[in-house]
Amino acid sequence: MNFLKAFIPITIAIFLILFDYKFAYLDSLRQGVSTLISPIYMVVNLPKKLYIWVDEQGTSKDQLLSDNQNLNNELLKLNARLQQTDALVLENKKLNALLNSSYTLKQSEFTIARIESITQSRLKKQIMIDKGSNSSLQVGQVVLGSKGIIGQITQTTPTTSSILMASDPTQHVPVKNSRNGIKGISQGMAENQYRLFVKFIEPGADIKIGDIFLSSALGGKFPDGYPLGRVTHVEYHKNEDFQHIELEPMQKTHDLEFVIVLDNQ
Amino acid sequence: MNTQRPYIFLFKITLFSLILSVLPLNEVVLDAAPFWLLLLYTYWLIYFPVKGSLLTALILGVLLDILQGDVLGQNALALILASMFINNVKQSFYVSNISTQQVYVFFSGGIYLAVFLSTHLLMNGLTNNYYLLLAPLTGALIWPIVRFSLAKCRHQ
Repeated sequence: MNFLKAFIPITIAIFLILFDYKFAYLDSLRQGVSTLISPIYMVVNLPKKLYIWVDEQGTSKDQLLSDNQNLNNELLKLNARLQQTDALVLENKKLNALLNSSYTLKQSEFTIARIESITQSRLKKQIMIDKGSNSSLQVGQVVLGSKGIIGQITQTTPTTSSILMASDPTQHVPVKNSRNGIKGISQGMAENQYRLFVKFIEPGADIKIGDIFLSSALGGKFPDGYPLGRVTHVEYHKNEDFQHIELEPMQKTHDLEFVIVLDNQ
Repeated sequence: MNTQRPYIFLFKITLFSLILSVLPLNEVVLDAAPFWLLLLYTYWLIYFPVKGSLLTALILGVLLDILQGDVLGQNALALILASMFINNVKQSFYVSNISTQQVYVFFSGGIYLAVFLSTHLLMNGLTNNYYLLLAPLTGALIWPIVRFSLAKCRHQ
């Protein structure tokens, strides 16, 4: 009898693990329950929000003026760079027209969100942001920092979203080398939280330490051309089919306060 | 003194343990922190004898899975198996002194961790997160405080 009592919940739990890991049938259940229990996140993040509010109220006028000055300078520099980018986009359009190419650069729309917390689980690298389905965010949208890709939204509630980081072992990102376009798939390393590795790059391919890998639009999951990581280690063993390439993520999370969520297109 | 009803008390401790489980902490502290849900649920299992404790463990585990963004069923399976152990030693646990109870809590934490890590290993491979191994120990160390605090709350 005791065995039967335990059998049903254990079977359900194993069934849930298998189905959630392999398929997406349980996503709607997850989404529904997640919305239901989302007030817990609000309670947990209340002290931080309060601290930010008090901090903002207590900021002196001199500090604000200085910040404003710095931001204006930064804006000028970025505008100057943007002019170059605009020129390159124009040039790209002309070349595409000359070559009759159907490839076009997409202009991305984005949403800015503030980070609420980093990592709520022991073995999963996640970030929680303060915008959710009320701000039209959806599962699958890509999230960027100022230096590169952070990850992808995996769960939304009306007011928050969870981002699975690119350095998580379950996250796969199609990548290409910015120097020579060699393509591979990056994956987080389970044994090192701050490293990624690139799979499926054949021996003899030209990869050097310091090379930067960008996201590739292969598979349509990630946008093209955003920095993901810098090569820190390249190794090849004779009995293996591919090189062992390690990356250090371009975007660190410890100094991050805001993120950019790219709109799905 | 007024003793609370089992399921009302369970609702309160679940809410509290879920809040504790998703508190934004430093990575090392987060890894070495006790399994809060298991710890508080252990108290409920011992001091509130009710039926359906394993199904309740399943529901609570799934809630934690969703809240933490883990694979559904991962915490649930760990909590069910750890609860089975607690159910088996329930009589002895109830009459034991606090240090023996800490040993039981340590073992249930060990079962929880073993199941949690095994499912993770099967899905994602090995992890070198050694601070995780401290979780059963911190759970056992903090058990007297948990027991004392919950006893106070129970009789309010």
